[in-house]
Amino acid sequence: MKIILPDKTIRYQKVPNPVPVEALIRDLGFDPIEVLVARNGTLVTEDALLEESDEIRIIRIAHGG
Amino acid sequence: MAGTVSSTKTPPWSLCTEPAVFHDKRTGRHLCRDHFISDVESRVAETIRGRRLIVPGDHVVIALSGGKDSTALLMILARLLPALEGVTLSAFTIDEGIHGYREDTIRSADELVKKYRLTHTMISFPDLFGGTLDVFLEGREPEACSICGILRRKALNVGAERAGATKLATGHNLDDEAQSVFMNVLRGDLPRLLRDSGSDSQGRFIPRIKPLMFISEKEIAVYLMLHGAWADLPECPYAVHALRGEVRRMLAVLESKHPGTMLHLMESRAQIEAHCDGSLVAEPMRHCAECGDPCSGEICQLCNLKKTL
Ligand SMILES: [Zn+2]
Ligand SMILES: [Zn+2]
Repeated sequence: MKIILPDKTIRYQKVPNPVPVEALIRDLGFDPIEVLVARNGTLVTEDALLEESDEIRIIRIAHGG
Repeated sequence: MAGTVSSTKTPPWSLCTEPAVFHDKRTGRHLCRDHFISDVESRVAETIRGRRLIVPGDHVVIALSGGKDSTALLMILARLLPALEGVTLSAFTIDEGIHGYREDTIRSADELVKKYRLTHTMISFPDLFGGTLDVFLEGREPEACSICGILRRKALNVGAERAGATKLATGHNLDDEAQSVFMNVLRGDLPRLLRDSGSDSQGRFIPRIKPLMFISEKEIAVYLMLHGAWADLPECPYAVHALRGEVRRMLAVLESKHPGTMLHLMESRAQIEAHCDGSLVAEPMRHCAECGDPCSGEICQLCNLKKTL
């Protein structure tokens, strides 16, 4: 799976197929409350299932108003 | 867009069959783009109506930092404006002078007010206090947020006055509010806990309103993303020094494990408030011996601070 991390670096990772969003982001070391996840450019919820072929982007919700 | 694969199947508690963009863990609801946007906007409208934050004829000035919260606040208030009778909207921005942080957010504030055709006023720390925050904080970074807070409070009042505001709207969200409740409890500061909660009832300054107080930080981020208004803005470089940072992380973990924690903190405050009936915050109204601003002691925090800068 192609994963774009908050700092824009790209990582290719083997994942169970399918994998729940929440499991993936916890596996990458994030808490679901501090990030948003987009699949192929569209936001998805933490309980959505991702496929190996999806392109995933993780967006950190930065602090500060 | 009826789902054909398992990953886009309609999840439980959906309001429609469109793909969900937000899952509210507290209520279990899954919301699609359109339902999410109208949910956020109607909750803000309800906060405004229920608490009478804005009344006909008000000139609401948004404290626009250009960061995500105040950006979302401006977008939502602009959307709700036609339903608010005789209300005008404008924005003002404080330039504290934080190198490597403020340049981007100010540019983004500028673009936003142009897009919405709002009047925009600016006020800078050098104008008001004779120097930038960066200069004031040299060697005293651990005090950054309290020093900045005192200076910003003054800047907000001056800015709101200059802009002719009857209400000053800030982008404080549910996370900010819950953190404040928790921090004031940790500090044992009950009067401040209550003072923080709403508009200044003593009429000392232009009343502050927080229309996003029940919208979470995550919801704000989703709202901006869905409008293509998300920008990867830098974090305030001084934020790492604050107690708020620790409280923020702790509450994030709690909210994640126990959805509703932040709302419960807000409810606690509301209950304390209801029982105290203002008796704890009714400090005698005094004026600073040096600048004449309303304050609780002999000399106001700002005048005390100025002596040390
Ligand atoms: Zn829907
Ligand atoms: Zn003073």
